[in-house]
Amino acid sequence: MGSTATEMDELVARGYEHGFVTDIETDVIPPGLNEDVIRLISQRKGEPEWILESRLKAYQHWLTMTPPDWSSVRHPPIDFQSISYFAAPKKKPELQSLDEVDPELLATYEKLGIPIEEQKALAGVAVDAVFDSVSVATTFRKTLADAGVIFCSISEALQEHPDLVRENLGSVVPHTDNYFAALNAAVFTDGTFVYVPKGVRCPMELSTYFRINAQNTGQFERTLIVAEEGSYVSYLEGCTAPQRDENQLHAAVVELVAHTDAQIKYSTVQNWYPGDAEGKGGIYNFVTKRGDCRGDRSKISWTQVETGSAITWKYPSCILRGNDSIGEFYSVAVTKGMQQADTGTKMIHIGRNTRSTIVSKGISAGKGQQAYRGLVRMTQRAEDARNHTQCDSLLIGDRCGAHTFPYIEVKNPSAKVEHEATTSKIGEDQLFYCRSRGLSEEDAVSMVVNGFCKEVFKELPMEFAVEAQKLLAISLEGAVG
Amino acid sequence: MTTGEQRATDLEKVLRRGQQQLAAGSAADNWLSAVRERGASDVMTMARPDRKQEAWRYTPTSFLDKAEYAPVVEGPFGAIQPADVEELMLGDQQGTCLVFVNGYYAPALSRLAPGQHMPQVAVLSGQLGDVPAQLKAHLDGIAEHHHVFAALNSALMSDGALLYVPRSASVQAPIEILHVSVGLDEPGICHPRHLIVLEEGAQAQVIERYCALGEAVYFTNALVEIILRPGSRLSHERLQEESALAQHLSDLHVRLDEGSRYKHVSATLGGAWSRTDLRLNFAGEGAQADLDGLMLARDKQLNDVHLDIQHTAPGCISRESFKGILDGRGKVVFDGRILVAQDAQQTDASLSNHNLMLSRSAEVDTKPQLEIYADDVKCSHGTTVGELDHNMLFYLRSRGIPSARARQMLCQGFAEEILDRIENPALHGRATRLLTERLMTYSE
Repeated sequence: MGSTATEMDELVARGYEHGFVTDIETDVIPPGLNEDVIRLISQRKGEPEWILESRLKAYQHWLTMTPPDWSSVRHPPIDFQSISYFAAPKKKPELQSLDEVDPELLATYEKLGIPIEEQKALAGVAVDAVFDSVSVATTFRKTLADAGVIFCSISEALQEHPDLVRENLGSVVPHTDNYFAALNAAVFTDGTFVYVPKGVRCPMELSTYFRINAQNTGQFERTLIVAEEGSYVSYLEGCTAPQRDENQLHAAVVELVAHTDAQIKYSTVQNWYPGDAEGKGGIYNFVTKRGDCRGDRSKISWTQVETGSAITWKYPSCILRGNDSIGEFYSVAVTKGMQQADTGTKMIHIGRNTRSTIVSKGISAGKGQQAYRGLVRMTQRAEDARNHTQCDSLLIGDRCGAHTFPYIEVKNPSAKVEHEATTSKIGEDQLFYCRSRGLSEEDAVSMVVNGFCKEVFKELPMEFAVEAQKLLAISLEGAVG
Repeated sequence: MTTGEQRATDLEKVLRRGQQQLAAGSAADNWLSAVRERGASDVMTMARPDRKQEAWRYTPTSFLDKAEYAPVVEGPFGAIQPADVEELMLGDQQGTCLVFVNGYYAPALSRLAPGQHMPQVAVLSGQLGDVPAQLKAHLDGIAEHHHVFAALNSALMSDGALLYVPRSASVQAPIEILHVSVGLDEPGICHPRHLIVLEEGAQAQVIERYCALGEAVYFTNALVEIILRPGSRLSHERLQEESALAQHLSDLHVRLDEGSRYKHVSATLGGAWSRTDLRLNFAGEGAQADLDGLMLARDKQLNDVHLDIQHTAPGCISRESFKGILDGRGKVVFDGRILVAQDAQQTDASLSNHNLMLSRSAEVDTKPQLEIYADDVKCSHGTTVGELDHNMLFYLRSRGIPSARARQMLCQGFAEEILDRIENPALHGRATRLLTERLMTYSE
């Protein structure tokens, strides 16, 4: 066991592999937040008047709010005046092909092991690469356009499809929702807009790679996906960020709207900088994600693999408004070092025969702390609604923590709600069995952990599942003594 | 009070009036003044619980706005004869039974069992002689004022049972603590305070009951402290059958030392508003606690159980199983927290909460929680909410059993899993009878 303990120490001490800063000139608004900064953001982006109004309204509301203190995460107070609210690469190329993309940027992606070319060839994935806050490359747009699918940055959508955006933006997550959603509504700089028209099955998986790059720039993405009647879309979101010392705030808002018979599948792999061994640096990830199953038989599925960030605070939720609508939440969260994660979901059952499934797998190692916090609400109208929740936690090391806080509110007797949670450490007997069959301790752990997370990984699109397993391996291999 | 005018309860006023009353009383309980002062100063600083406080999120205390609860004066309960409470007594009991009427010890109704291995029994008011020093030393030793009502209890406690079981003593017959509430002109609030101490290797059974004579509006605000020294064993059975108009709050604090064992079964049936807070702390290695509870909520009744199980020592086992049955606009609130502290390795804890909803307008809010800071542990919780299984109902009906009877049978089966954990036959009989009577009244 001695050698394994050393290996574990090595692995835990291993630096952040994706930590490097790409040197691109950026156009940054000086740090600070006030109405003028918001006007400046709006002006730089050449936005219509109504969006500026809604930004200012959100800002005024935000001023009246206090940061939430109910979660298990602990961090020093955030100085919102020390953050720069806008950073865009200075070169704003109108790109026709990959050759025109800044070679330095392409190199960055290659270092990450996810070159756009490979993505193009291998998966047929259209990548809307968000480099800092402005989209600089969009591919496969024509194929999508032929299908009638709109896939563009939200700033572009504000210019080209203002009515669609106006109708849906803030309809699922209003600016009054919570502290970080209000902040986002006031200062969001970019993000993605997806619109899938009636009856269209989106011909490819849509994906955006987010990258936080400039020093001291918070990112406030806004994502809006609207799936019209009978349509289907699968959206992938993946993130890595370079190493730096200042804590960075990330307060994104994601809104999904699924109309009758529509399906939206939203997958996330998050691997932002988690901070160093003392917990210094690292991203603060305060995200509000919510899907609205507006129509009957609609379905929204959230899958997330959270391995990065110093603090993760996110609760992708579903409002099951339509009859027979379905909500799903599959999550793997890993905390090691000094990482903290407070994550979970809300399933609000309003329509008849609505169903929801929650599978949450938490792995805590080192001094990592994580909590599952979830709500299942069966309203009085939710006739014959069903929920099944499974929350499992795996503990590796005696200084980590894993917590489960499910809230279950039932107001309809025909609703069936089941919740199960377990917490345990990696089974010694399982490890012993594997080792007696000649596997190294490291492989055995990796095998057990992968088995533990299998239920969630199988929900990920194939190329994402590979990346997720890679991330998990980096985080945890051999982390057992 | 002018007619038609609605008066609210001001907890500070309750405190002042109660303090005046205590000041006018006997000096025999002067030793309590430090505890009372601590309670009083906490009452002044603590806010009345509201929905913004996590522990009260689902438990409104609006009843305080609907009536003014005044401290109950020790008074004319002498008129109550043993015959009046006969219906409330358990049959065939040999052990000591301490009866409290509206919170005050009633010697005429109580029974002190003779015999060897007698525990030392006293009451706070000193009516059974001076309180032994070892009990005085433990009082208020583990109670925490995590809400204003607990502080109010400490500030205004005037009577309650104090039991001390000496080292290695084994008390054979169960000791019973029986509360009887009698309706008064004004809604009253009383603060029973009990203390149970089992010394090393001691064994005892305690039955704690809350009943009422007739329908009355009152608020029982009880606090119980239980200290189990190493290797001791306590079986604690509680039956709450308060008046349908009453408010009942029980705040239990239990400490388990090394290798001790605590077995708890509770059935909370009565009251318009009922809440039990049970905080159990494993202070020594290798202790075990088994907790079972049945919660019934009929129309407009709220039944709330909050568990806080703190595994602070390694190698302890806890099992919690609570079930709720709801009818009408009944509401069950369950909050079960298991905390495993750092270094409390080899903890084995599991908790379950199952709820049966019999009506369309009932509500269940359940929140099991695991908070774990150690890795070598086995912890789980499970919770379900649902209605009666249609297939089971169909099966019974196809065998010629009428629908209403079939529903009762299924509910009975669901509840008996908990009630069958009650060891005392007379208490088991009474709880089962009350359950059956209750199920008969259920509408749908």
